Amino acid sequence: MMHILKNTRSAKLPRLAALLVAVAVLGLAGCDDHAGDPKMQIGANPVLPALQQYLMPPIRVAEVVGWGKETPSVPEGLQVHALATGFQHPRSLYVLPNGDVLVVESNGPKAPIYRPKDIITGWVQSFAGAKAKDANRITLLRDTHGDGIPEVRTVFLDHLNSPFGVALIGDSLYVANTDAIVRYPYQEGQTSITAAGTKLTDLPGGPIDHHWTKSMLASPDGSKLYVGVGSNSNVGENGIGAEYERAAIWEVDVASGAHRIFASGVRNPTGLQWEPETGKLWAIANERDEIGPDLVPDYLTSVKDGGFYGWPYSYYGQHLDPRIMPQRPDLVASAIAPDYSLSSHAAPLGLAMYTGAGLPANYRGGAFVGEHGSWNRTPLNGYKVVFVPFSGGKPSGPPQDVVTGFLDESNHARGRPVGLAVDKNGALLIADDVGNTVWRVSGSTPKPAS
Amino acid sequence: MQHHATIAEASFIRDVDLKPARKSRGRPIHRMLVSFSAAYFVGALVTDIVYWRMPDVMWERFSIWLIAAGLIVAGLAAIAYVIDLAGRRRIDRPAWPRVVGYALAVLLALTNAFVHSRDGYTAVVPTGLMLSALVVVVLALTALVARALTNRHRFGV
Repeated sequence: MMHILKNTRSAKLPRLAALLVAVAVLGLAGCDDHAGDPKMQIGANPVLPALQQYLMPPIRVAEVVGWGKETPSVPEGLQVHALATGFQHPRSLYVLPNGDVLVVESNGPKAPIYRPKDIITGWVQSFAGAKAKDANRITLLRDTHGDGIPEVRTVFLDHLNSPFGVALIGDSLYVANTDAIVRYPYQEGQTSITAAGTKLTDLPGGPIDHHWTKSMLASPDGSKLYVGVGSNSNVGENGIGAEYERAAIWEVDVASGAHRIFASGVRNPTGLQWEPETGKLWAIANERDEIGPDLVPDYLTSVKDGGFYGWPYSYYGQHLDPRIMPQRPDLVASAIAPDYSLSSHAAPLGLAMYTGAGLPANYRGGAFVGEHGSWNRTPLNGYKVVFVPFSGGKPSGPPQDVVTGFLDESNHARGRPVGLAVDKNGALLIADDVGNTVWRVSGSTPKPAS
Repeated sequence: MQHHATIAEASFIRDVDLKPARKSRGRPIHRMLVSFSAAYFVGALVTDIVYWRMPDVMWERFSIWLIAAGLIVAGLAAIAYVIDLAGRRRIDRPAWPRVVGYALAVLLALTNAFVHSRDGYTAVVPTGLMLSALVVVVLALTALVARALTNRHRFGV
């Protein structure tokens, strides 16, 4: 039988129990929903089971307990500690050239209610800590000694609108709010920006704004910004009109603000990075829900110019999704299967290609992925930071767990990893939007500050 | 004089006794609510058919809200039914075919609400549409059977 909201706050249990009983009595929960081993869905050819449709899709969110005195676990050769705590929903990180760390504290806009289901969804998200108070600001941390203890902490930019991506080009700092890219003048060493920003371009925002995060990456020559724009629905249920220029990676011209669709059919591209060896664009993406605990695997992929990656019509190439009508066989025929599956519902939300020298040599050239963790499968998946080794510009092996312990023994969430960044000394930084902490992972014999 | 006054008093008391008795034989509250919920469910079938022919999400949203409203009113009807039973209001005999048929329709509509909460086209086609139609068929059959049985009862067949 399904276990609905197995781990939720006890105060909510009577209502949940009533819901469970109501469903069980109706015999709607008869199906056995135990998910397969996520390891079967790793790499280029994940096992894809037949899709299921539910009367009551499984929901399982980890109850939030916080870190207390605990810290995440890392393998031998690494150490981890909190760079700073007490944030309000930190979602992404950016390291400025002088080593200052920008912590983007952000949360999504209020979701409108279009169907009775939206009321339930909002309610479930509140258990997972997704409805935390959002600061909509960027905090600056400065660690001049490189010892992982910041001496300066200031509000760098305030009154933003659900920001996520940040990119510095020359003396212009670009912030991707959920509805626009805004440019601010920046001088090296500045600890706060008070100047009013200039809008570079609008981005698809409300009123639905289902996937609100706008990841952003500057091209190496500084002429273009690449922006990950998530879909406006799970699988097109808000109408295809709501998906205009969404589920896509935009290429924005920095000089004019004009944009074109660089790649499409990527449901929610939450992280963009340049692969260091080939210089190609890579992305992580979150795939669709409600067709089974092992569908559809989230992925890491190279992004081809003009490529179509399937959403909403198909997944992993030509696997059709019956939930979208009218179908588009012409588009499905051209759909590209992503390069590397990260397994289903792991929810990758942070990507960092590692080129630093602070961590052991085996991490060089590979990708760290922050997996925020599942909310709709049993057992839980994700809730960790993994490392995908690369060689020759392609993933070359299974992911290794690098930072774990985000779940305790009873599957309660101490925290959930989101955005990643590599600091000036080559340490890996992790934003934890439930633990409200930024974690710093460094080599266990700390290198002296350069 | 004394005798006359006693008669007047007696007839007055009899009037007071009769009034609430006649009121309790009035139209039960739950009947109106049942009709309302049935109308919502019929509406959902209509919007489902339109969505099936022309899959615009607006129609799908109409359907799920109509089903949800029908279920809420059905819940109120159940409460009213209990009140009517407790208040010994006249409930058409035989009541059980109506109750069973209506309960079946409401359970099907509840299942349909879950189906309609799926994302996209398969929230309606084919399962949701079939359930919407089935709910209306069950409601119609219930009304027909109940009327036939009531008439037979009334005419003493």
